Amino acid sequence: MNDTQSTLAGRWSRRALVRFAGASGLALAVAMAALPAHALEGKVTYWGGLIFSEAANKLLVDTITAWGQANGVETEVVMINQNETVQKVSAAVASNTMPDALDLNLDLLLLLSRQGVFTEVSDVYDAVGAANGGWFPSVAATSDLISAESGRYGVPFGVTGNLILRRNDLLSEKGFAEAPATWQELADQAVAVTASPVFGLGLALSNVGDGNVQIAVMQSFGGRVADDAGENAAIKSEGTRAYLQWLKDAWDKGAFPPGVATWDGAGDNQAYLSGQAAFIANTGSVGIAAKTQDPELYDATLYSPLPRGPVENVNPINMQFRAIPATSQNPEAAKALIEHLYNPEFLNAYYQAAIYGPVLNANKDFAAFDGSDPIKSGLLGLTENGTAPAWPDVYNAAYADIYTNYVIPKMAQRVVIDGWDFDRAMDEAQASAQAIYDKY
Amino acid sequence: MAAITTGTDAAATRAQPRGGSIRRNLLVSRILTYIALGGAVLLILFPVYWMLITSLKLPREIYRMPSLWPQVFTLENYRILLQDKEFLLPIRNSMIVAFAVTIISVLISSFAAYSMVRFRYRFKGLIGRLILFAYLTPTSLLFIPLSILMAQLGLGNSLHGLILVYLCFSLPLSTWLLQGYFRGVPRELEEQGMIDGLTRFGALLRIVLPLSAPGIAAVSIFTFTHAWNELLLALVLTTSESVRTAPLALNYLITSDVLPWGPLMAGATLSSVPLMILYFIAQRFMVQGMTAGSVKG
Repeated sequence: MNDTQSTLAGRWSRRALVRFAGASGLALAVAMAALPAHALEGKVTYWGGLIFSEAANKLLVDTITAWGQANGVETEVVMINQNETVQKVSAAVASNTMPDALDLNLDLLLLLSRQGVFTEVSDVYDAVGAANGGWFPSVAATSDLISAESGRYGVPFGVTGNLILRRNDLLSEKGFAEAPATWQELADQAVAVTASPVFGLGLALSNVGDGNVQIAVMQSFGGRVADDAGENAAIKSEGTRAYLQWLKDAWDKGAFPPGVATWDGAGDNQAYLSGQAAFIANTGSVGIAAKTQDPELYDATLYSPLPRGPVENVNPINMQFRAIPATSQNPEAAKALIEHLYNPEFLNAYYQAAIYGPVLNANKDFAAFDGSDPIKSGLLGLTENGTAPAWPDVYNAAYADIYTNYVIPKMAQRVVIDGWDFDRAMDEAQASAQAIYDKY
Repeated sequence: MAAITTGTDAAATRAQPRGGSIRRNLLVSRILTYIALGGAVLLILFPVYWMLITSLKLPREIYRMPSLWPQVFTLENYRILLQDKEFLLPIRNSMIVAFAVTIISVLISSFAAYSMVRFRYRFKGLIGRLILFAYLTPTSLLFIPLSILMAQLGLGNSLHGLILVYLCFSLPLSTWLLQGYFRGVPRELEEQGMIDGLTRFGALLRIVLPLSAPGIAAVSIFTFTHAWNELLLALVLTTSESVRTAPLALNYLITSDVLPWGPLMAGATLSSVPLMILYFIAQRFMVQGMTAGSVKG
């Protein structure tokens, strides 16, 4: 024992030392609690996803601006066209000019979070979930799909997915009062109402996002993109053959409008809004457009989930997330802002204007989902009953590549446009898909 | 005599149907020419007409009753565009960018082209080819490097940055085109001017540039049109609403998979007006300039 130690031992007994330490800790804790929470400061730049609803866009901008003013944070909200998010974000990542927070979809979040572009937001995800009765199971499952071992990189705020829109006026004339429960029923109803200038099946078969609805149809017939491990292509199967048979039959009966194999992303919607299609698959934007532009068509339109097939009921959901780039200069303020955007007052108003299904259990009681709006009811149904992206396949980078290369729509085109037999079309799709899986 | 008279009459009689045939052929040829020209005019003007007429229709009519003449004329699409979307701001931004790029481009490329045509120095040919290669590089390959460069220069999200980037594309083309026009100006004219006391710069300003006016007009129109219509770089390099150009603002009208055809066509109509005026004023120079450049180059 040296001199110093002996001096301390002489002045302080062990008990006194423990008491002092305990009292000091308590005093510090009280003092910390009495202090205001860590004040936010600086600037937050937010890239919001521009959506079809002007009211929803304005509400988001106003809410963020008001939050900034209330918290002494300078905010700049820029609404980014979602059709161009990939180009915009790619350039911003490369040039290190990402905002402090942004909205983006599942696919882009998956891709960029694997590259370390975003900061971890598990704390926000957990806090928001706990404060709002937890996340819907489908939302949590989808969110889990893209959370890496190191945590979550995005907080979901909206569910999207395809609903079937149908012309009730035309269908009821033919005696079809109920929504088609199966793809076969849908094809039968479509064939029954097909009479120039109306075609029954306004489902895109072209190389656009809408064309990928055919993946869900194929899966519901038992077809698969890949094996259970998500490592090897498994397109060539009896399930896929059954799907192609369904497609060929409907095509041969003239239910598809001419040009479906070359439609752009708006082709099916234009066909419906111009009164030339009795069924389309759409996220709800067509219904919103019809509500203001063509009330007669809006009244004649009914909404239902994607029908089931002979094997599966596949209703894939997609989600929108809020994320914070790792380059953010103000991540704490960005986190506080994102958390603020889950306050019930804002979300209640936002869901009424936007075209998103809810993500939190507490959101179910919002006015938007009280059943008075058929589109919102459909989106709530999608949240409650929808299947995870890619299911029954595995959602991974290779699947996303298959998606963006339109392998399944191209297979459909081979059958209906080029007249290939099923085996040849499946062989080509299988080889193309396997080449993609081999890359990963 | 009689025989001669008879012969002349016979010739006249033979000539009459031939003359009539020629006139008839000329008439048919003229009618066919007008039909062909009318067809060409129709082919070119129909999209413009459709754009204009669609901008004056209600949404339901655009989708449900496509017709050559609106059942109900409306200016609602223009109201949405100008009032709700504040489209005059992007038009102003496009004007600033396009005029700045055109003026700077013509100025710099005139000097560059003149030096390449009149002076002798090492690697002149190589530099000329490199300039052309720079122009031929696809924009889609360059937008990310350019966005990095602009960010490092602190010029991202600004009209200045956009002007600088557009110059990267317009300068090579302008220089290359102007070389052709400058080569067509006889060197002797400049030499005579310099004997009379003009400096080299004076000769360029007072002799070469005036004689190349059609070429400069053509280059100006090309440069202006490119800067006015460009979308990809504007999309990547600018973010704030206050610095959006007209094509970008039009692109931002499309917010989902349902296209707002009415406001889109109204925006396309308004965006076309400055270009139409420019082409109308300069069409004489345009044709003359292009022809001169192609022959002399």
